[in-house]
Amino acid sequence: MKKTDYRDMWVYIEHDGKKIHPVSLELCSEARKLCEASGDALAAVIVNDLPQEELDKVLEAGVEKLIFVSGEGYETFSVDAYTHLFTELCKKYMPSAVFVGGTIAGRDFAPRFACRLLTGCTSDATQLIYNEKTGDIEFVEPAVGGKMMAVITVPELRPQVGTIRPGTFKYQPSGRREHEIIRERIGFPVDQIRTKVLSFTAEDLDDSLNIADAEVIVCVGSGIKGADALPRYRKLASLLNGKVGCTRPVFDRGILPFKLVIGQSGVVVKPKLYLAFGVSGAVNHVTGITDSDKVVAVNKDPDAAIFHYCDYGIVGDMDEICDLMIGHLEAKKTEDAS
Amino acid sequence: MLNILCCVKQVPDVNLVKIDPETGSLIRQGVPAILNPLDANALEAAVMTKERYGGKVTCITMGPDMAEEALRECLAAGAEQAVLLSDRAFANADTLATSYVIISAAKELGKFDLIFCGKESLDGATGQMASQLAERFDASLLSGVLTLCEVDESKKLVTVERELENGIEKTEARLPALITVEKTNFHPRIPNLKNWKASRTAEILRFNSKTIPDLDPAQIGDPGSPTKVPRTYPPEVGESGFILQEGSPEKDVDKLFALLEGIV
Repeated sequence: MKKTDYRDMWVYIEHDGKKIHPVSLELCSEARKLCEASGDALAAVIVNDLPQEELDKVLEAGVEKLIFVSGEGYETFSVDAYTHLFTELCKKYMPSAVFVGGTIAGRDFAPRFACRLLTGCTSDATQLIYNEKTGDIEFVEPAVGGKMMAVITVPELRPQVGTIRPGTFKYQPSGRREHEIIRERIGFPVDQIRTKVLSFTAEDLDDSLNIADAEVIVCVGSGIKGADALPRYRKLASLLNGKVGCTRPVFDRGILPFKLVIGQSGVVVKPKLYLAFGVSGAVNHVTGITDSDKVVAVNKDPDAAIFHYCDYGIVGDMDEICDLMIGHLEAKKTEDAS
Repeated sequence: MLNILCCVKQVPDVNLVKIDPETGSLIRQGVPAILNPLDANALEAAVMTKERYGGKVTCITMGPDMAEEALRECLAAGAEQAVLLSDRAFANADTLATSYVIISAAKELGKFDLIFCGKESLDGATGQMASQLAERFDASLLSGVLTLCEVDESKKLVTVERELENGIEKTEARLPALITVEKTNFHPRIPNLKNWKASRTAEILRFNSKTIPDLDPAQIGDPGSPTKVPRTYPPEVGESGFILQEGSPEKDVDKLFALLEGIV
């Protein structure tokens, strides 16, 4: 089998029966561009039923094939059933690429079916390029802690499997196209599902941990002295009606939880104002803030890379500048009140 | 008696890696190699499980000879056995080829009830090993485990709490199970002096491509890796932003707020 025998790019539509996960629509839009370049058809793989208004969003992204899959074993998500499903579907239809949202579920099953098919899988690409000469997709991503960019390809085997983090790309409806509908029944014996969910407790909505839609973000980077220094940044964030986020090394040091990590392997944010304190500016972090309206950087190192990604920069001690900003905002508040 | 495997990796401390500005390539010289931080959490979970239910923890790694040091660290922290898979033919392996070599060697070590590994590595950071190792071991996959509630050896079941995007899920899985853990409840222990000393001279079991039986050369190292890295390049860096130089931090902050007028 030659790689050119494999046609179509697939996007797995993750949904809960009511709503599609935004990352699936983002991937449809991005894969649409790849298909324009490669001549492949764009297909959406949908397991179980989806309300029409949600289906419309998929079609608006310019999808040309809808592959509906039903069968025993998919009532709830399981790695076992979904691995089986994608293995069988790929063997039958031979897609050139399969894109899966980099959610917990997606990252659990996509590398597994790639392994079962003995093909290549990449994760967390921040850019996708179709190379006309080779016919391969180039998965571009920051590597080695963001110190360099790496191009990853699957030059011989198909499908090319990739998981992509939510928020990496944008959902841009490009208009409906004529589309074909394929219905598949692929069951998976329920007794072969090795995991059983016993209970689920929705997390107490700690809103401070949900930073993806925050309008102002105060981000602390590896320059932070320790957890003791946090209260002033929390205070600044609160004065600005914003939230605190951090870079990966701050999580590694155990100062803040992973849900607050901004960047390639964490949350992608798009605030109106993003304030970086003691952030070095490694690419894997910066890829998570590119949609910010205004970026302010405070760092004691005048050569820090973050100054190349900011609108305004202050070279100075992060704690001191933070305190001065708090002072300025509090003075303004008193002024406004009187 | 649980037979527990913990898969680990030695990684360069990427925070200390520098880029040669002339060639754009990595300068690894002088950069310390460390046990991948999240693997230390996985090992702690493995050792805690052994202490609670009885059993044996084997740690395994694929890497150059110097990766032995990471294994000794695991022995000091409570593992009973250490296995190094080392061969030039294993080099340039992606996750598919690495998981193949690990399962091929693990078959020689017996059957494992629980397999632990870190969520992702500091250097490659694909986060794919857990999923692909679970496939290779034909095991249930339990990622992001917060609490290991119970292991029932007779029923061959493990119950855990996992952290999902929007809450906590309690899940039961059949053994063998592959587990990755969240850091929260599995802080790596500081080895005591006796264990540390013993780890220095402990025997390390070694395998190479010749001593792992029936190893398919087409599935290891570069030839066995479907993903390739045709090129790397330094990140593009744009022009510097506007740096405030008003003469004092106070004046810089005042100026900043003036510039942010309308936003703040």
